[in-house]
Parts: sequence; C-alpha cells; structure tokens
Amino acid sequence: MASSLIRTLSRTLRTVTASRFMSNVPENTVYGGPKPQNPNQRVTLTQLKQKHRKGEAITVVTAYDYPSAVHVDTAGIDVCLVGDSASMVVHGHDTTLPISLDEMLVHCRAVARGAKRPLLVGDLPFGSYESNTVQGVDSAVRVLKEGGMDAIKLEGGSTSRITAARSIVEAGIAVMGHVGLTPQAISVLGGFRPQGRNIASAVKVVETAMALQEAGCFAVVLECVPPPVAAAATSALHIPTIGIGAGPFCSGQVLVYHDLLGMMQHPHHAKVTPKFCKQYAQVGEVINKALLEYKEEVSKHSFPGPSHSPYKISSDDLDGFLSELQKLGLDEAASAAAASAEKIESSASISYQ
Amino acid sequence: MTSSLIKTLSRTLRTVTASRFMSNVPENTVYGGPKPQNPNQRVTLTQLKHKHRKGEAITVVTAYDYPSAVHVDTAGIDVCLVGDSASMVVHGHDTTLPISLDEMLVHCRAVARGAKRPLLVGDLPFGTYESSTVQGVNSAVRVLKEGCMDAIKLEGGSPSRITAARSIVEAGIAVMGHVGLTPQAISVLGGFRPQGRNIASAVKVVETAMALQEAGCFAVVLECVPPPVAAAATSALHIPTIGIGAGPFCSGQVLVYHDLLGMMQHPHHAKVTPKFCKQYAQVGEVINKALLEYKEEVSKHSFPGPSHSPYKISSGDLDGFLSELQKLGLDEAASAAAASAEKIESSASISSQ
Repeated sequence: MASSLIRTLSRTLRTVTASRFMSNVPENTVYGGPKPQNPNQRVTLTQLKQKHRKGEAITVVTAYDYPSAVHVDTAGIDVCLVGDSASMVVHGHDTTLPISLDEMLVHCRAVARGAKRPLLVGDLPFGSYESNTVQGVDSAVRVLKEGGMDAIKLEGGSTSRITAARSIVEAGIAVMGHVGLTPQAISVLGGFRPQGRNIASAVKVVETAMALQEAGCFAVVLECVPPPVAAAATSALHIPTIGIGAGPFCSGQVLVYHDLLGMMQHPHHAKVTPKFCKQYAQVGEVINKALLEYKEEVSKHSFPGPSHSPYKISSDDLDGFLSELQKLGLDEAASAAAASAEKIESSASISYQ
Repeated sequence: MTSSLIKTLSRTLRTVTASRFMSNVPENTVYGGPKPQNPNQRVTLTQLKHKHRKGEAITVVTAYDYPSAVHVDTAGIDVCLVGDSASMVVHGHDTTLPISLDEMLVHCRAVARGAKRPLLVGDLPFGTYESSTVQGVNSAVRVLKEGCMDAIKLEGGSPSRITAARSIVEAGIAVMGHVGLTPQAISVLGGFRPQGRNIASAVKVVETAMALQEAGCFAVVLECVPPPVAAAATSALHIPTIGIGAGPFCSGQVLVYHDLLGMMQHPHHAKVTPKFCKQYAQVGEVINKALLEYKEEVSKHSFPGPSHSPYKISSGDLDGFLSELQKLGLDEAASAAAASAEKIESSASISSQ
C-alpha cells in the first residue's frame, strides 16, 4: 500500500514537473520574472547620506510634468522635487497657497512617469497637514501611494510641525524639512521675507533645523537666510542641508526649474526671477523667437512645405476622389484638389527643403 | 398736503442726491466702474472670420499651463488650444485617452490665467462626450464655465458626433470640429493612422467636415490627410480649416507646443517628433545644457556665488548669533558661521561677480 502510494506520488510529481518543463508559461515569468530590487537605479537615501559624508554637493531641481522630469533625470540631478511652487510657475497664481493635494498628486504622477533615476520628493501643499497629525500622515501617505513619490517635504518648525514630521517618519515615510523663508507662511511672515537676519531669528533657524533632524528628517531645506546662518545650521546637523538663497555653505542646492532656465524671461513679460537664482539659460527668449518664426511662416503660407506634408494619395485614388467630388456637386473643391496636387508636384521637383 | 408731500419728496431726493455726490464710493465704481466689453482685446470669432475672408492664415498653438500660455499670447498667436495632447506631452502617457475632464479643466484654468489675447479653445477629452448628447453638452458647459475657455473642440464625424456638435452649438458654445486622424479613435483606427489616402476615406473627410459646418462649427481641424484632400475640404467649406500634417492649403495651421519647440529633442531621450512638425527651436538641448551647468557649478561649490547670496546679517547681530550658538553648546556651528562670514567678506572684496 505504502509503495503504491509512493509510486502514485512520484508519478504525480514527475507529471507536474514534466508539465512545468513543457509549459509555455513558466512559473517565474507569471509575474514578469525575477527583477532587481532597484531596476531604475533610483537614487536612495543611503546614497545621499554617502554623498553628504564625502562632502559631495547634493543637487536638487524641481519638476512638475513629464518633460521636465525627463530633463532633470537626463541631466543626472540627484533629487527631483515636485514643489508646491507649481502653484506659481505652472498655474500662474501669485502664491503657493491655492494648489490642492489632488492637483499636486497629478503633478507627482506625471513626474514619476518621467524621472526614473532621481530620488522623488513631493511637497505637502498648504492646508494638507497643518490641522493635526492625522491629516499630515494621511496626506503624506497619499503622496507616496497615489503620487508615486519616494519622500515628502513639509514646511515649518513650530511644535506641531515637528510632531507632524515625527509621525510621518514613524509611518515609514521619509521627510525633508524646510526652514527659513517658508512660502506657505507668507500670511504671518508678511510676504516672501528672508529669515535669520537678526539674532533671535538666526538662532531659531538653527534650532528648528535641529528639532526636525531629531524628529527623523533625512534633510532640511534652508530658504533665504544669510550664508553664515546656513553655515551654522549645516555644521550643527549631521543630515544634509539643501540651500536656496542661503549661500554656498549648505550640503546641497535646490532651484526652481522655470527660474534657473529663464523660462519666463522676455522683455514683454519678464516675470521677476528671484535674485538668488542664477539663470543658466534664456529659454523664454528661445521660445518667443521660435513662436514668432512659426507665426511668420504660417502667415506666408511657407509652412508646411513639402518635407512637412508627408501624406500622399495615389494619382489613381486622386482621380477617383476628384470624380466623387464632382458627383457630389463640389466642382470647386475638385479644382482646388487638382490644383494643389499640381503645386505639390512642381515644388517637389524644384526644391528640397 | 400735496405741496408738503412734494416738499418731502424733493427734500428726500436732494438728500439722496447729495449723499450720492458726497459718497466716497460713487455708484459707478461699486462694481469697478464701466469697462470696455473686451478689455483684453481678446480675439473673437468675428475676427477669425475676417481673417479667413481676407485669406490671412490663422495660427493656432497648443498650451497647457501658465508659462506656455503667456508665450503663445506674447507671440501674437490667434488661437490657443488647450489640447488633450496634454495627456502625452505633459503627463507622459502614450495616448490621449487617459486624461480626465477634471484634469483638462485644471490645464484650461492655468492657460486662461496666462493667455489674455488669443481665442481660447478647450478640447473635450476622450470619454466626456461620446455616450450621449447630454453628456456632451454638460462637458462643454464645464469647459467654458469652470475652464474659462471661449470655445470647445471635439473629434470625429459620425452621426452621433454631428448631433453632439449641433447640440453644443445650440447651447451657445462655439465648436471647432476635428476630422482626419482623430487621436481619440486610435482603438478603431488601429493606431495613429493618417486618413484620406484612398477614395472612400478622402470623400469621407470632406463630407464629415461639411456636416460639421452644417451643425454650426466655426472651424474644422484637418489632421494627417494628403494635401489635395485638405485643399478640397478647405474649398468646399466657408468656415476655416486648421491643418496639422495636412499640407499648406488649409486656412490655418496648428502645432503642438512641445513638438514645435523641440522640447524633448535630445539624443538621450529623443521623443519621436511627428514628421509633419517642424522644429523651430531645440529647447530640449538648451534645457539639458543649462541643467548640466547647474549641476557642475553646485558640485564645484561655485554656485551660489556672492551675487546670488544676497541676504545679510549685520556684524553686530552675527556676533550675538555666535554667542547664542556657543551658549547652546554648538561651538562647531559657531566656528563654521564665523568662517563663512570671513569667506564671504574676502570673496566680496576680491571679485565683483
């Protein structure tokens, strides 16, 4: 009995094994096959830590959609920040306040599709984390779950913010802090006012940065503070500082995509570029020139030329088409079609373009 | 009695009139004062009609956010189209299908903030107008009401679409038609396939364009058809045709912003630019170069230099700050701050960047 059971078992086993070998859908490709843990070679917190330890500057640039994300990725930038600055540079508002979490998530997803290598950080927008810790954790979860981000950033250093940061870290979400000029607080700051310019304010910048580190943040953005204050904070912290308008003594730098590219720089509509931002290009001028040229060529009917009118209809089908048009009583249309076909033939033989 | 009544009335009248004269909020500025009917000098359907009648080419460019809208406006383009091509060029999808009406409305609003002069046309995205005429009218209403557009565009020429177009026009909303290659129909077309390349298809292009005109459309986009077919349609219609990949015989031309600017043109990630689209610039190359330079300068700690580190702390406050740091036991931070202040001073005296 036992031996026949064993034989049955081994026969079953051989059958199963045989079917596995013969199967055209091998098990290990049912879910696409074994993949490396990090197929995109995405920048990790550990790599940032190592850079910081070695004194190598960390680069951060903002992005808000697929093409900007691809550009930031292609340039080899370390961190891609989906900033609530989208409210101003993408949506045209005067402040970062109007943008909602749902709108931020749309930006996050588009960036996630485009930037495969940089670490992705999503901003928590104004109003999505200030009420209480529960709201903060929920918002942060959405940014990772629905937004496809790797970490979040939140602004401020008040006690409630530190608590929120700590809770979000405890939820398993990496947090980047942000002190100095916090654009979401322009209501109490009285505008976009640089911070740390007197003793009390300078000390506060350092203390809040340290508190955020203690809450578990992996980095802190320092915005618009005098360089010595940024230097002090950078020295006092063991986590990296990312500066913007804070001088060269930070562990890394961040700039807004549109500002560093001079996207809006054109005499007719020179948007104010912050004075701490260097313009590495004048994309606005390039765009303006290109659009004017397009308008010119369309007005002169010189665009599209033959090389940009690639779709053909065979001469037989053209004849059939002309007679169908005439049957429909559209004689003028038929003449126009015939004339255009002739024009195309003659210009094709004349010019190459 | 009558005379005292009259006296009371006239006294009241004088009092009211006097208070009007003395009021510091005169009536006619309660609502901002009389304004011209079209303060932005926005392009109207009538102006487009005049252009068409005079044989002047109509220019159309797509935009999806505030800066692109400002650029299209500044270049003096006639019509700014918020296209569902956003799904591909902004959100990074492979087709125009995924984008929702809510997402389109966000794009529309951002564009409306930026483009004050061009006529604004918003695309109805896939899935918002095909089920029923009711759905179509509701979606079109949202695009004008919530999206602040001036007109809508919808794709296709089937009987249900013509009916939808008619109903939307009857609702008081200007409609731009779209025939030829209709990207929302790639499912039945079998991909992005040019149309009008045989007799039946060519006749269909002309017939559907005419049906859309009859339904009340103010213009029709012709996409990816052979030039003679576009010429025939243009001749058969009294409303303007706007071509894309349809040759030079249309009443006007439209191109996608990112394509005409070469936004994604870089060897590393050369997104396929359609062959009918002329690149009037290589913005992608400019962006890549700028980002690489930024990365270089940050890595070398040469950005930000003194001219991009504008925020100061007075030496008196700096000293106070240093002593506060020492009180907190942060001696290293104090040294770092002091050292940085010295570096700044010396580099400020050396170079005048």
